[in-house]
Amino acid sequence: MASERYSFSLTTFSPSGKLVQIEYALAAVAAGGTSVGIKASNGVVIATENKHKSSLYDEHSVNKVEMITGHIGMVYSGMGPDYRLLVAQARKTAQQYYLMYHEPIPTAQLVQRVATVMQEYTQSGGVRPFGVSLLVCGWDGGRPYLFQCDPSGAYFAWKATAMGKNFNNGKTFLEKRYTEELELDDAVHTAILTLKEGFEGAMTADNIEVGICDAAGFRRLEPAHVKDYLANIP
Amino acid sequence: MSILAYNGGAVVAMKGKDCVAIATDKRYGIQAQTISANFPKVFQMGPTLYVGLPGLATDTQTVYQRLKFRMNLYELKENRIMRPNTFSAMLSNLLYERRFGPYFIEPVVAGLDPIDNKPYVCNMDLIGCPNEPEDFVVSGTCTDQLYGMCEALWEPNLSPDELFETISQALVNAADRDAISGWGAVVYIIEKDKITEKHVKTRMD
Amino acid sequence: MASILVPEIPAPGFSFENCQRNAFLEQKGFPAPKATKTGTTIVGIIYADGVILGADTRATENTVVSDKNCQKIHYLAGNMYCCGAGTAADTEMTTQTVASQLELQRLHTGRTVPVATAATLLKRMLFRYQGHIGAALVLGGVDRTGPHIYCIYPHGSVDKLPYATMGSGSLAAMAVFEARWKPDMNEEEGKKLVRDAIAAGIFNDLGSGSNVDLCVIRTTGPAQYLRTYEEANIKGKKQGSYRYPLGTTAVLKQRIIPLEVESVTVRPVQPMEVEASVSS
Repeated sequence: MASERYSFSLTTFSPSGKLVQIEYALAAVAAGGTSVGIKASNGVVIATENKHKSSLYDEHSVNKVEMITGHIGMVYSGMGPDYRLLVAQARKTAQQYYLMYHEPIPTAQLVQRVATVMQEYTQSGGVRPFGVSLLVCGWDGGRPYLFQCDPSGAYFAWKATAMGKNFNNGKTFLEKRYTEELELDDAVHTAILTLKEGFEGAMTADNIEVGICDAAGFRRLEPAHVKDYLANIP
Repeated sequence: MSILAYNGGAVVAMKGKDCVAIATDKRYGIQAQTISANFPKVFQMGPTLYVGLPGLATDTQTVYQRLKFRMNLYELKENRIMRPNTFSAMLSNLLYERRFGPYFIEPVVAGLDPIDNKPYVCNMDLIGCPNEPEDFVVSGTCTDQLYGMCEALWEPNLSPDELFETISQALVNAADRDAISGWGAVVYIIEKDKITEKHVKTRMD
Repeated sequence: MASILVPEIPAPGFSFENCQRNAFLEQKGFPAPKATKTGTTIVGIIYADGVILGADTRATENTVVSDKNCQKIHYLAGNMYCCGAGTAADTEMTTQTVASQLELQRLHTGRTVPVATAATLLKRMLFRYQGHIGAALVLGGVDRTGPHIYCIYPHGSVDKLPYATMGSGSLAAMAVFEARWKPDMNEEEGKKLVRDAIAAGIFNDLGSGSNVDLCVIRTTGPAQYLRTYEEANIKGKKQGSYRYPLGTTAVLKQRIIPLEVESVTVRPVQPMEVEASVSS
């Protein structure tokens, strides 16, 4: 990477001061599957649609919701292959931190370091920005955390947010639904409802994924468990 | 002769009831020749965190600077103060990085955890193998004498004043039997609301 | 991923910057001091439903006991633990590094990592350093192929055995195993045998001492770490007190640094001045 003297960065300023490559990357994100994250009083939930173009796909063999370390999980909207690299990098970062300080990495630190990697891909030669936005959920120091990480390397802390396809509708929906004293179970319900907002076709336990994070750590919900939540949805 | 005994010096740390103490001699010498009687080997790293770095004096200072650098980076990045066990892990890694070309120091860490105010003491060998006992840790050129003094004097649940007498007498009497330690001593008693620094009278020979 | 814009601090890997100086000092008659050794008796056996690992708890610097109750059974993963003998820092750091790699492997594959993987990672690491990393290990664990005990030597050679011993007390412990180990022992028999093997090390080898630590890893359930399973040497109660009366020590000068006691630290996270996911 950037070993050649003539390998310039593709991400260069336009005359109006924009980095259009980053804007195109955000367009790739906005075209990707919807992801939702909600912070509750006793945990966080992240959820995403995992729809397949053909019924021949083997579901549940590839996951969008991934564990980074015991108390942190992640999901994305955008390009799947790009996400894989970031997951591997995030896991490695978490392990490095643990080896160095013998304490679990704070969610904010992990997000910052992943964002640093994403920023580098907007400035280095011979590479393009990532076509993904990330939602990172975590639990540390007795508090839930929810962050979004964009291709530019910018990151934000949210109470609740949506990204990907129809993210604006999702956000408007969440703004109406969100309260500070939300419980985790209700948050999962709300997250699924938000996904349903722009969902094309029938929503089943096989075409959405849900991950939750609380004092007990992060875990991805089994399809059977997701089914229970779906049963309560009109 | 061991390079660890080139400059001389001794450090000891002890746990008390809701307090810890760390004590050091003040001598800096080149083998048998004393150069200074005011050479710091124990450094304050946080509000209730101290580290002692006895051994080769040049490495005492280098390791202190490197530690301070890494710790400042951590505290700026994370906007929180470092806990003693985190500090030990970081120091252990710093030393183990030089596994095949070590710094010639054997550190002692003493502090109160800023979160639950639990006493913490720890020492390491020169390549960073941590040892976290329930009573006391010693390091420097008169460890044999210090082990003897501490085993005899230390009792559980000492109050800050009793801890001061115990650690001072342990250090002073151990250093008296070591030709290259002594020439004054400093004791730090760390409590959750204050730190007491006491300069102790010792033999000056 | 080596970062050009944001270099890692500290740089990864070992640093050799002091080696030239230290070699020069050695030439001048100041050889490098010895690091803490564990001395050690460590053992592992296979029994009817899993493995049992055992260790003493003494660490030594030459003949001085530097740690009376150190932990020699290290965590590797939920289904495996590893006993370490030799240079204390090496066993500690090697097992930590490998535990980290195993966790990454577990997250990557989404299944329990086999014990053979851990054995391979450990032997490759030790072989790469040609014996300079002085770690002698007894690795024990269970996976879908059953229980396993591996012996890994500092130069990277490996034995796979039903019962194994390592460290300076390995002869004493092996004597117990050779006499009494048999296949398919029950858990109580197994724990007794491992305890007796460690006790043989503690009492017959001077490099081993203090307490017996055990770790039982069953094929059926989670590992059970029995720290201080038995206090083989109970310290006698101190009869007298050598406490000095307050005021014995002459103080030349004194300084009190008051500390502000902070009870809660709240850190608000400020969102940056960039809009999220908006493509205009």
